[in-house]
Amino acid sequence: MLAELKGVSKVYRSGTGRRAVAVEALKDIDLAIEEGEFLAVMGPSGSGKSTLLHILGLLDRPSQGKYLLLGRDVTELEEAEAARTRNRTIGFVFQAFFLLPRATALKNVELPLVYRGLAKSRRRRRAEEALAAVGLADRADHLPSELSGGQKQRVAIARALAQDPAVLLADEPTGNLDTASSHEIMRLFSGLNREGRTVIVVTHEPEVAGYARRIVRMRDGRIVADETQR
Amino acid sequence: MRLSDSFETALEALMAHKLRTFLSLLGVVIGVFAVTALVSLGEIATYGIKKGLEQVAGRSVFVQPRFQPDRPPLKFREEDRKLLSALPAKVIPYVFASATARDERGKPVDLRVLGVPGDFPKLDPGIEMAEGRFFTAAELKRAAPVAVLNPLAKKRLFQRKTPLGHSLTLDFGGGAGRARVVIVGTTKPLTGLFAGLQSVQVYVPYTWLWQRVPWIRPGEFHAFELKAGPGVDLNALAKRVERLFELRYGEDRVEVQNVAVFTETLKGITLALQALLGGIGALSLLVGGIGIMNIMLVSVTERTREIGLRKALGATAGEIRTQFLIEATVLTLVGGVLGVVLAALVLYLLVAAVPFFEVFILSPKTVALALLVSALVGLFFGVWPADQAARLDPIEALRHE
Repeated sequence: MLAELKGVSKVYRSGTGRRAVAVEALKDIDLAIEEGEFLAVMGPSGSGKSTLLHILGLLDRPSQGKYLLLGRDVTELEEAEAARTRNRTIGFVFQAFFLLPRATALKNVELPLVYRGLAKSRRRRRAEEALAAVGLADRADHLPSELSGGQKQRVAIARALAQDPAVLLADEPTGNLDTASSHEIMRLFSGLNREGRTVIVVTHEPEVAGYARRIVRMRDGRIVADETQR
Repeated sequence: MRLSDSFETALEALMAHKLRTFLSLLGVVIGVFAVTALVSLGEIATYGIKKGLEQVAGRSVFVQPRFQPDRPPLKFREEDRKLLSALPAKVIPYVFASATARDERGKPVDLRVLGVPGDFPKLDPGIEMAEGRFFTAAELKRAAPVAVLNPLAKKRLFQRKTPLGHSLTLDFGGGAGRARVVIVGTTKPLTGLFAGLQSVQVYVPYTWLWQRVPWIRPGEFHAFELKAGPGVDLNALAKRVERLFELRYGEDRVEVQNVAVFTETLKGITLALQALLGGIGALSLLVGGIGIMNIMLVSVTERTREIGLRKALGATAGEIRTQFLIEATVLTLVGGVLGVVLAALVLYLLVAAVPFFEVFILSPKTVALALLVSALVGLFFGVWPADQAARLDPIEALRHE
């Protein structure tokens, strides 16, 4: 079992004092994700899918319930321990790529390994391997501004792969891409999944979700459907 | 994260905004420049003051009777002079008097009359003749009515005219009557720092004062100056003098002073001056530090998304804090280096241009202090921005536009 959410709720408070409003972003979620799955989380904006991703990615904590990651209870991890666990276990891919603009593709891919405390030579080797895995070995010395949108997202995926994470968490990874690049990125995720990598993609595009084998649909903080496709 | 990586990251961030980095540094540069320059200037000035003092007083020890209200004043005699001649120094006896003379328009001028030995400039290298000559040992012996004026006395009594060969009537007051002396020479002004401190002085043979002033008895002296050679420890010499007079007259009858005492006083004044100047530097460092804090806060805001990304990729709050602290410290340290270089340059030019500043002093202690202070400024003023960065919530930070 890769990840298991048991009765997870998340309540946000916005505003202060009397006008404070509690917003329930997640309501009593139960979700189990096996290793090697390719899962898409779908839903309209405000459905709670981003919150779910943040909790799965240890960027946020549940207000209630339990979260087991690789069999370990990570519900109440301390900040530093959560950071270390993210670094070793979770590979994020964001809609806006989030590459450092002044660093080369290679340096960008090395970044998570810097926080792992790896020596330069090892970092470099792993980053080069990761770039090769996404087909960008020849763009290692390019700055993000010299790359196309699809290439930028592939660098971001390489950055996640360099961590050798237990799961890839992608938040609208094709949101900033044209159709061709979107399919190129999703094919890359499919390929990685076939090699055994667990992939979770949050999206509102059915075409993108179509690449996944399991689709979880959310609405108003609840899971309303959980289908596995053939 | 490795410390070397932290430094590298900090440098990359600083190099990304070279102009802004430089501008934000200016406050620290000026602060460190001020501290360094002023502390060094203090050291250079102390050196100048010391040299000026030695020029004026030489390497001297002065002995005078101590003023005691309940006892008649002690008067030195020829035996005392002999006593001192055993010490490794030249002994100059002094007889003091005061008198009034009239200038050409008949206005009274108060004078300090110094009874000294003949050929005085040979004993005191600080005294140089401007015109004429000093009276001789032979003139001393026969108590000749001759006098030498210092520049101030010459100016007050004769303005620009040469006083050589003129006679001067000294009125000692108190029924002593008047006495005439012939002016045989004038001295040059003292050089250096203390030139302005001289009073209106007339040198005469002390034997002449013995004869002419009723209350000065023949054979009495009012003070001795001991001129020590280069290798002699002035403090030790002063101690020996004190001891000799203690054995002769009992405790506390004489006052012994040496230049070292003045030097100590001046050191104290210089120290106070340096503290004041250092305070001004500290103030500019404070302003510079606030500038650094400001630019770091701007930097944190600008790089909110980057911070969010780094956290998502596994940076702990502590690592983010460390990174920004290092960044602030490297920033101010660079400012410190620039400030020290600037100070060295300005001091060098100043020493070259101003004769009073004789040597260029920039002690390693001062440099180390300046750099330490600049690093501490960065560390101190970096704490708040670094903390702001460390506390950013990664989700919020990644959403930041």
